[in-house]
Amino acid sequence: MINLENISFDHCIKCTVCTIYCPVARETHLFPGPKQSGPDTERLRIKDPYLVDDSLKYCSNCKRCEIACPSGVKIADLIQVAKFQHLKKKIRVRDFFMSRTDLVGRLATFMSFLTNFVINLLPVKFFMDVILKIPFGRSFPKYASGTFHGWAKKKMPDQSKFRTKAVYFHGCYVNYNNHQLGKDLVDVLNAMNIGVITENEKCCGVPLIGNGYIDKAKKNAAHNIQALSRALGEEGTRIVSTSSSCSYALKYEYANLLELNNATIYDKVDYITKYLYSQFESGNIPPMKPVNLRAAYHSPCHLERMGGVIYTINVLKEIPGLDLVILHSECCGIAGTYGFKKEYYEISQSIGANLFRNIEKADVEVVITDCETCKMQIEMNTPYEVLHPVQVLARAIKNNTR
Amino acid sequence: MNYDCLIIGGGISGLTCGIKCVSEGLRCGILSSGMSALHFSSGSIDLYGYHTNRKIVYQPLDYIERLIIPEGRHPYSKCGIDMIREGISFFSETLEKEGLVLYHNNDYNHFHVSTMGTVKPTYLSQRSVFNDNIKEGFKKRSKIAILNFSGFRDFYPELAAENLRKNSLFSLFDIITGEIELPLFRRTEKNPHEFRSMDIARIFDSEKYLPGIANQIVNASGGALFVGLPAFIGINNFTRIYQRLSELTGMLIYEIPTLPPSILGMRIDDALKSRFASLGGEFIAGDTVNGGEIVNGVLDHIHTENHGSTRLRSKFFVLSSGSFFSRGLVSEFNVIREPVFDLKVAASEDRREWYSPSFFQKESHPFLEYGVVTNNTLNPEDTQGATVENLFCTGAILPHYNPIREGCGGGVAISTGYFAAKKIIEGCRS
Repeated sequence: MINLENISFDHCIKCTVCTIYCPVARETHLFPGPKQSGPDTERLRIKDPYLVDDSLKYCSNCKRCEIACPSGVKIADLIQVAKFQHLKKKIRVRDFFMSRTDLVGRLATFMSFLTNFVINLLPVKFFMDVILKIPFGRSFPKYASGTFHGWAKKKMPDQSKFRTKAVYFHGCYVNYNNHQLGKDLVDVLNAMNIGVITENEKCCGVPLIGNGYIDKAKKNAAHNIQALSRALGEEGTRIVSTSSSCSYALKYEYANLLELNNATIYDKVDYITKYLYSQFESGNIPPMKPVNLRAAYHSPCHLERMGGVIYTINVLKEIPGLDLVILHSECCGIAGTYGFKKEYYEISQSIGANLFRNIEKADVEVVITDCETCKMQIEMNTPYEVLHPVQVLARAIKNNTR
Repeated sequence: MNYDCLIIGGGISGLTCGIKCVSEGLRCGILSSGMSALHFSSGSIDLYGYHTNRKIVYQPLDYIERLIIPEGRHPYSKCGIDMIREGISFFSETLEKEGLVLYHNNDYNHFHVSTMGTVKPTYLSQRSVFNDNIKEGFKKRSKIAILNFSGFRDFYPELAAENLRKNSLFSLFDIITGEIELPLFRRTEKNPHEFRSMDIARIFDSEKYLPGIANQIVNASGGALFVGLPAFIGINNFTRIYQRLSELTGMLIYEIPTLPPSILGMRIDDALKSRFASLGGEFIAGDTVNGGEIVNGVLDHIHTENHGSTRLRSKFFVLSSGSFFSRGLVSEFNVIREPVFDLKVAASEDRREWYSPSFFQKESHPFLEYGVVTNNTLNPEDTQGATVENLFCTGAILPHYNPIREGCGGGVAISTGYFAAKKIIEGCRS
């Protein structure tokens, strides 16, 4: 039966602008583009699921089609929902583990030195390529020892002295891979007289959505909505995240894709630079010393979709001694776990090729970006270290206290 | 967010205004909800094309000065002839700095060919549509070959040729049609029928197949002087590709617009956005402005879908959100509204007067002349009837002109955008 409520595809006027701006359709003809995979075939799919074709799987959910659409069609959402509903889910060991970031993270951080050593051994990489279909050429993020959550519970400096507080959704990357980013955030917010609260959070669900584990994603989302709502407590407290994709999920994917009620947190969640900018604007700017750094800024797709790029740029502009080159906005190709899969690896690399060239041309010392997987992709494909805006800010603050 | 100038709408008018503002050192942002009408345009800039009796206007600037400006209500009347001239040259110089040169016919209109093969007067065109060689070549009244890549469905050479043959301007020409093949077609998984103009433009951009394509063009065109191709000769490297293809074929290459998306229009869009960004402008894509607060005739702030409760503040605002297609105006059952601020709109209250009985009526449709009422400096009125001093309306949202019937859409968008920028720069300095 046709679901009469779901008629957003009817707003499509077939102008094809979305397909022009689709990075995947640009690089491979295997993907017919967002217009065809989204609104065009949705009309057929709702009549008969037999008419679904599996080229849907090539969509990386970067959401650039939605930014381009002049008619306000939620094209990427249409495609993701169709993927969940219609594509047969092959049980794949790889996809299972790739999406279980909490499980894998806890195991890997338990003996991180061993994990980091083993994962880079040639026979292991060969095995992963042939059996698991994880491309040989792909490099992996290093795992940290222990979790950020554990550090925050036991070793974080006392936060009770700060009257204003922010709830920090650190996400899996900070929890299992990059504790320093989380610690830097604590330093930055403390320097601005703001205390940090962490909650017992679960993975935001982005990798689960990307791999089609919707029920598990819903469970995680429900847990996070509840935990974060509980932590909000006092009036005016905000939830911040240092990951652009986690923020996007908490704010939009929970309601639009997972169809959960996130009203209690919707208006409270900020990607970190938006929060910092509003603090800066009200005069709460931490004392900083020049960082003397020439950097290129790359804007991640999901931050573009949220309209958050201007906040990052304006926060970065406040950092003294930061010579900033703003790169032309384009997808780096990784799209979360997409670029970690053998069947999409080449597409992912060729999507990013132009960005990598532009980074090389920019003649900089480091690259700055908001997204952890963009960082992995850029660090693998260029000789530059990639920093988070919060890390650059932390440097400027440390320079001052030194 | 505190701007000097915040522009709602990232089309040709908003971008022209924004580029002028940032080039004078103002802090300027553009909010854009989806890609603009440039993606569906001919890529030529019309200033004024037709008399009221449908006769062609040959000298548009002269015509505007003598007949349109004195009439008083037309957006051109508000700009004045000097502002129009200045705006158009600013626009041309801006594109030239990005490597896209626009050509004009010494202040006269020239013609360009539409995808249907109709011929339209226009003022500025890209090199593949009008230049001195094309002008000279046209005088020779020789042979024209209109070619297409076999399988490409967004262009029909026979249709274009048949309409051109009926046109008295082309009565002395021998017009043939033909097909060529892209070498890549055979090695791609994609069915050529699925190719859009952009897919082919990217193949041209790579330059890899140019000699092969040039050979095919020469073979298929039977010794013609002109070869008309659907507009997809490169997007980022257009100028270079056009030059090389002309040299390789030794023919006069002419681009005819395809069905949307229009590569000719996208070249302009790319150039304008790139200029705006390189001057330090902030282009905020994919967001929709929900409303704003007007206090005592001053627009204090606006709020958007993505920015939620955050207020975007600016000294000046520009509303260049376009006409009905771009949702700058919306039509309800018996009322036409401006959806962002509910500004006063000039439109008939009788729905039956909105449109002409026939779709392709020569007089076009009355609804195209509806829009937001402004004073002589393009400031609109709020719901209480007070003039909003720091808000300017530019481009297709303005009333009292008909871009189709008069052939003046691009010119009005550029002149009013430029005019608003001048007023804003003046306001910021005082």
